[in-house]
Amino acid sequence: MSAFLVDLAFWVFAVGAVWTGYRVFRTDSMVRASFLLLASLVNVGAIMLLLSAEYLGFALIFMMALEMMVMALFMVMFMMNPAGLNPMVMVHQNRLSAVAGFAAFLGLSAVGVLADFPDRPVPEPVGVVARLGEELLGDSMLVFESVGVLLLATMIGAVALSSQRGRYGAADEGSEPPPMVPREGGAR
Amino acid sequence: MQVAHAPWWLGALVVVGTLAVGSYAVAALHELLATAVAGGGVRVGEGVAAPWRRAALLLRQERTRTEAPDPITWALAPALYGGLAALALTVVPLSSTFAVADFRTGIVVWGAAEALAIVAIFLHGWSPNSLFPLVGAYRFVALALSYELLSMFVLIAAALPAESLQLTDIVAAQHGLWNVVRQPLGLPLFLVVSLGVTFWGPLDLADSSDLAGGTSAEASGGQRLSWQLARCAMLFSFAAMGATAFLGGPLGPWLPGPLWLLTKTVVVLVILVGLGHVVGRVPPERFVAVGWGLLLPLAFLDLLVAGLEALP
Repeated sequence: MSAFLVDLAFWVFAVGAVWTGYRVFRTDSMVRASFLLLASLVNVGAIMLLLSAEYLGFALIFMMALEMMVMALFMVMFMMNPAGLNPMVMVHQNRLSAVAGFAAFLGLSAVGVLADFPDRPVPEPVGVVARLGEELLGDSMLVFESVGVLLLATMIGAVALSSQRGRYGAADEGSEPPPMVPREGGAR
Repeated sequence: MQVAHAPWWLGALVVVGTLAVGSYAVAALHELLATAVAGGGVRVGEGVAAPWRRAALLLRQERTRTEAPDPITWALAPALYGGLAALALTVVPLSSTFAVADFRTGIVVWGAAEALAIVAIFLHGWSPNSLFPLVGAYRFVALALSYELLSMFVLIAAALPAESLQLTDIVAAQHGLWNVVRQPLGLPLFLVVSLGVTFWGPLDLADSSDLAGGTSAEASGGQRLSWQLARCAMLFSFAAMGATAFLGGPLGPWLPGPLWLLTKTVVVLVILVGLGHVVGRVPPERFVAVGWGLLLPLAFLDLLVAGLEALP
């Protein structure tokens, strides 16, 4: 790709990331806020792809898609707002948050623009993914693998616990009809 | 691996053209196999005409309106789902040296498309602001974790012999022996994932009849047509991926590579669509139990077999 196209793509994704990130705080629905945040992160992932961080860029999109999906689901469940389509105010301490947000944005942008980053072209075509793999799994193989297996075991355990049969037995089995005579001590 | 590069417009044309023909082929195959399974023999003329008739009917249908929907998201969800089918197809190698976008991390790109497809299906059910679509969307997301885990384990197992996440490498590694022989559990598990993510046949739990049509209960006319089209496109992409990761993709004697890939894709499609006709809809609770209690351990076993074989 020519340098001009790369620059153009960078600006499109950068503006997209900032704009959708801003919209997260201006929308009135949990679900919209979650997926606007996802859109912002997908734009960031695309910028990482432009930086030749192929694996990290796609992995970011991959992980964030599932993460935001689960987040939207849980937020709607906890908020008692059916489907998150009822308009609701989702911000508080507006002035403080706005000031803090803009200060953080300006600070990080200043670092991005002013700091002296190493400027070495990535060696093509081999290496980027393999080097990342060695970095992650070389010396830190034990930590990485233990944490990975632990997280997977936690996930399976959580599903096993939550799928235990409920009060009325397994969901797909016939339940017991209520007795004609009231039970001792009233309803259970 | 060094691969041929094509201009971007040619790549886009190839992907869109393949998907357009492919999704129509899926719809026609659906009709053809329905007649064949019912014992009516193979009636090619009928199968070829039926999708056009149905599309024409849907295009003349009035559009349903719901109270306070999210109209933009509702209209765009099918486009997102279909676009992800196209993104997924770009990483599939059409010949042993050419894929439209032959990323070094092709498997991860595929995974990202799958993960975003879950978002597209959820949004399609959420945006009409109606009961049954929403229930379908929630149910799909609850099931999607089972599909996503399975998918990643079997695809990583398929990548292990190649020691690469790039799909042209994965194809090259199957020169002597296809992955379907080396890892016999991989393809069946991937077929389950395919039916799940496209909510097809036995795993049609997002748009199922017990939810009065689920996420597309309120979709009619062009809206429903585009959703069905996107779903057929996704099934085609999944079949192409199944053929690539487990059946050697474009590898084969005599015929040119793309023809082999097409043949294998059609075989996988016949299996998928045929299963859709023959196997009844699985109750979602039972699928979760089977998914986590049986299919996930089988996926671990598949990964173990692949890992042991990859040891020097």
